[in-house]
Amino acid sequence: MKPIEDLSLGELAAFVCTHLRTNGIEVVLSGGGCVSIYTSNRYQSYDLDFIENLPTSRRRIKEVLLVIGFIEKDRIFAHPQSDFVLDFPAGPLAVGSEPVKETVDMKFSTGILTLLSPTDCVKDRLAAYYYWEDLQSLEQALMVVEAKEIDVDEIRRWSAVENKLTELECILDVLIKAAGGNRDSK
Amino acid sequence: MLEPILGSLNRERILLFLLTNKEGYARQIARFFETDLSPIQRQLDRLEFGGVLYSRQAGRTRLFGLNPRYPFLGELQALLAKALVFYPQEERERLEIVRKRPRRRGKPE
Repeated sequence: MKPIEDLSLGELAAFVCTHLRTNGIEVVLSGGGCVSIYTSNRYQSYDLDFIENLPTSRRRIKEVLLVIGFIEKDRIFAHPQSDFVLDFPAGPLAVGSEPVKETVDMKFSTGILTLLSPTDCVKDRLAAYYYWEDLQSLEQALMVVEAKEIDVDEIRRWSAVENKLTELECILDVLIKAAGGNRDSK
Repeated sequence: MLEPILGSLNRERILLFLLTNKEGYARQIARFFETDLSPIQRQLDRLEFGGVLYSRQAGRTRLFGLNPRYPFLGELQALLAKALVFYPQEERERLEIVRKRPRRRGKPE
């Protein structure tokens, strides 16, 4: 395997995810890291947010990550040779008020990474836009829509569940236009 | 009232305060309940770390609120609202009419 400092975000995420899985800790990559992967780093994140499928004690995560050189400081795990940091935000794995039903497994030279699907990744970014009015998150959502096949009807259904249909209507044209650039989107 | 399930009286106080006031800061909540600041700060940090609360910086003050992205927010709000019904009316009213209008610096509280 390449040295840690030479690993891309995806390679490192897959390495960490596989190492945790080998030690009985199942995690899913969420947040900006997924955007980086789906947009081939058009958006570059340095945070890898992993959500545990089942709660694990912090002590156990610390022990397992220490084996591969990640040390916890201020609730964030860093490696002396990497610019990327690992975070384990509190679960459950959800987008808004709904649990994530399906995840995606992606193979890298360093292992297998489990991450949000492109559609759930868009929902995750839109949730930040809906609730915090964060335009950067909207921009990231649109980048994923342009790069990957997403299910616009599912985004609409989910937005209704979140009671954010009005907010969706305001950006729907931009979203559909972005999806239009990607012929695979429904 | 919810201490047996929340594990801490201060957690209950914080959550009820934020349910009724939308946002608040540590010193404000501690003052309101006439309790020490550090246990309130500790519980605020824990609740934020657990995704239940968000925080944002407003000048030099860190404001907390119930996290709208918390997956159990609706259920938590319903539980807190029900708990509030069992509070004495006087306490309920006190929670609901926390001063929000501006007050010039230096004036007595």
